[in-house]
Amino acid sequence: MQDQPVLSWKVAGLLLGLLLIAATALVKPLGVSTQYVVTDAIVLHSAAPNFAESNEYLSKYGDKQDWGIGYGWMLVLGMFIGGGLSALITRRFRQRENPSIPSMWQSEFGDSSPRRMTHAFIGGALLLFGARLAGGCTSGHVISGISQLTVGSIIFGFSVFATGIIVAHMLYRRRLQS
Amino acid sequence: MKLVLGLIIGMVFGAILQLGGGSSYKKIMGSLLLKDMHIIKLILMAIAVGTLGIYALDLVDMANLSIKPTYVVGIIIAGVIFGVGFAVAGYCPGTCVVASAEGKTDAMVTLLGGLAGALLYAIVYPALSGLIGIANYGKVTVASALNVDGLWIAVPFSAFLFFLMFRVLKDRYE
Repeated sequence: MQDQPVLSWKVAGLLLGLLLIAATALVKPLGVSTQYVVTDAIVLHSAAPNFAESNEYLSKYGDKQDWGIGYGWMLVLGMFIGGGLSALITRRFRQRENPSIPSMWQSEFGDSSPRRMTHAFIGGALLLFGARLAGGCTSGHVISGISQLTVGSIIFGFSVFATGIIVAHMLYRRRLQS
Repeated sequence: MKLVLGLIIGMVFGAILQLGGGSSYKKIMGSLLLKDMHIIKLILMAIAVGTLGIYALDLVDMANLSIKPTYVVGIIIAGVIFGVGFAVAGYCPGTCVVASAEGKTDAMVTLLGGLAGALLYAIVYPALSGLIGIANYGKVTVASALNVDGLWIAVPFSAFLFFLMFRVLKDRYE
């Protein structure tokens, strides 16, 4: 198992900072979480148009110029392609014994795939509920927002990491005690 | 043209996250458990470089800034909800996209959970929109609050982050 990332935090952080600067000069700072709503809106505007039109939040995206497959959506698609390609090229695609369970999670919670999937789903739902309430996520608020010295983004960053650190310690308390 | 640009910027973003370990459950949890500071330091480095570059660009009017509004109460609550999801899933909304591309099926489920969470937010949005009005200071930055050019804050802020990265944060392997 190749456990260590290809790039050090220094190099990866530097490259990410440079990409953020380039994106800010060319278009706007980086952001991901809006595209979850956009994807929901795309699906629901075709599957359940009445519901989508009547929903205040989803219809907001129907009026916007970049609703649908716009710049931001292509960026997230690009992340999928770019991440997949670099995993293939560096031979790290599906580098796990069990594709659904991280080995660290397995050592604490066992090898129940449904249990891991439940954590993954609920965690994902909380992530996007929180991100939409805040108006951004790790990329839009923490990386792009704090880089623009936005006061709310700094508050969000502290709130996220304080909570994340506490909950992670609660989840892994047995490992930490031993 | 903008679509192609989005795709290219996204591909570089995804590749950096993948190569830098951003899509690794173990690396993310290592940082939240304060054992392996790799991810925290990666983010701090990106911010330290980004803030200098963005406000240097702003000086020559070349930065397309996008300042989000600061509504203190709503953002703190949002951060708590997001933080719980971060620790439980072990991914965030961007890294689960990259981890999905690596063939990690739990990350694909996190992505689906994210779509459900965003939909749930859309449904309860009318009831929560009042929260956004409490202690809402609008699009305020540290620099605009102090009424100075961004670089005056960006330089010392960045220096402070470098100090944290190289002098304060240390790995504590088990």
